[in-house]
Amino acid sequence: MPALRTAEVAVVDLDVCDRCGLCLPLCPPAAIHLEMSALVVDPVGCTGCHKCIAPCPVGALAMVPA
Amino acid sequence: MPDVDILIVGAGPAGAIAAREARRAAPGLDVLVLERDRAVGAPVRCAEGVGDAGLREFANPDGAPWVSRHITKVIFLAPDDTEVKVAERDVGWILDRTRFDAFLAAEAAAEGAELLLGTEATGMSRAPDGRWVVTVRGPHGHDVYRARVVIGADGVETMVGRWAGLDTRVPARDMESCAQYVVQGIDFDPDAIYLQFGDRIAPGGYAWVFPKGPDIANVGLGLVALHAGGRTARQYLDSWIARRYPRGARTGYTVGGVIVHTTIKQTYTDGVLVAGDAAHMINPLSGGGIVNAMKAGRLAGHTAATAVCAGNTSADRLAAYHTAWMDLLGDDHLKYYRIKQALERLDDAFFNGLARTLNAIPPEKRTLGRIFAHALVKHPQLIPVAARFFV
Repeated sequence: MPALRTAEVAVVDLDVCDRCGLCLPLCPPAAIHLEMSALVVDPVGCTGCHKCIAPCPVGALAMVPA
Repeated sequence: MPDVDILIVGAGPAGAIAAREARRAAPGLDVLVLERDRAVGAPVRCAEGVGDAGLREFANPDGAPWVSRHITKVIFLAPDDTEVKVAERDVGWILDRTRFDAFLAAEAAAEGAELLLGTEATGMSRAPDGRWVVTVRGPHGHDVYRARVVIGADGVETMVGRWAGLDTRVPARDMESCAQYVVQGIDFDPDAIYLQFGDRIAPGGYAWVFPKGPDIANVGLGLVALHAGGRTARQYLDSWIARRYPRGARTGYTVGGVIVHTTIKQTYTDGVLVAGDAAHMINPLSGGGIVNAMKAGRLAGHTAATAVCAGNTSADRLAAYHTAWMDLLGDDHLKYYRIKQALERLDDAFFNGLARTLNAIPPEKRTLGRIFAHALVKHPQLIPVAARFFV
């Protein structure tokens, strides 16, 4: 059975993101990963909950249609 | 697969002190510290302020090259810019974190701990014999280590805790979004730290000026995004600096999150300890975490080392770390968190009024203790706050 899909997922603008890691502990399904070169949002893991969007100090995260 | 006794993820204050203390407690153990960045202490994601007494438990700041400034005063700014000066002799220090973290890492190395730079942990799982298998990625590609105890000192974004099954998630209301510039060529008292509160300045948090020298300072703020009306921390900070320091030259910036919560419910499991920011061991009132991280690192390093020596790294044994931390500071943070919640309900008019009340006290008598006492008399609304603090 395919996983229940969400209407929106979070995406990160890598030109704006400072890789501070603030969003990681906010993400309930742990779909955000901080790798050495970039912040990565796993579009399959993201449940579209929006919890990471407003707290980003530089506004690097946004929701887009899944 | 290389074997180590204790593997520490993160070479900040928690990780470096954990490594130093583990080797001091048991010099024969193999202690390995992984640091994701290519240099310890950089980039700086910190306002760099520490209290005097806490710092001295770990290092002597007098004349140290890793200190930027000795601080002897605190200046509170009400939302309407009313200044309240509090003179205390030894308030604390503004560190040079790049040098300070390197100093701590060098101390750990001098005790015999090994440090790997540019190396990040990418995952961990338990081997059948109970040890943890940690996969890492570094300058020489992928590698795998096997450790008897893993200490997660990996900061706000902690992955070690999650990999070990501990709950390190943070509700959005307990995450402060911070932005900070290094600003040069501005006018302020270089012996004082400045803290300003206000719904339009830093909703749910405060703005700060932490001097690094006579005309250079860390100028930043932290806010709770839920109260920020869709504007980012950096936008709030740009407005604040434009108003207070329009002629300052901004020569650097950083952003980050400060978890203003209480210690996670469980900081240990079989073969794993989590310390510092990773375990939410931050003073939820001040947002300060450096000394807390070092105190937790000391407990974690000692607990891990003695557990390995005893041949028992089970959760039952490591639970002593959690108990010791809660007795030392964790229980205090629960009280501070309740104060923070009470303060959040007070508005700008309250703080403006309080500032005027406090300024009626002679400056030489304006200690933090007296301020609190006078605040209670003049502002009975604060009594519930005090009751929460002392109960």
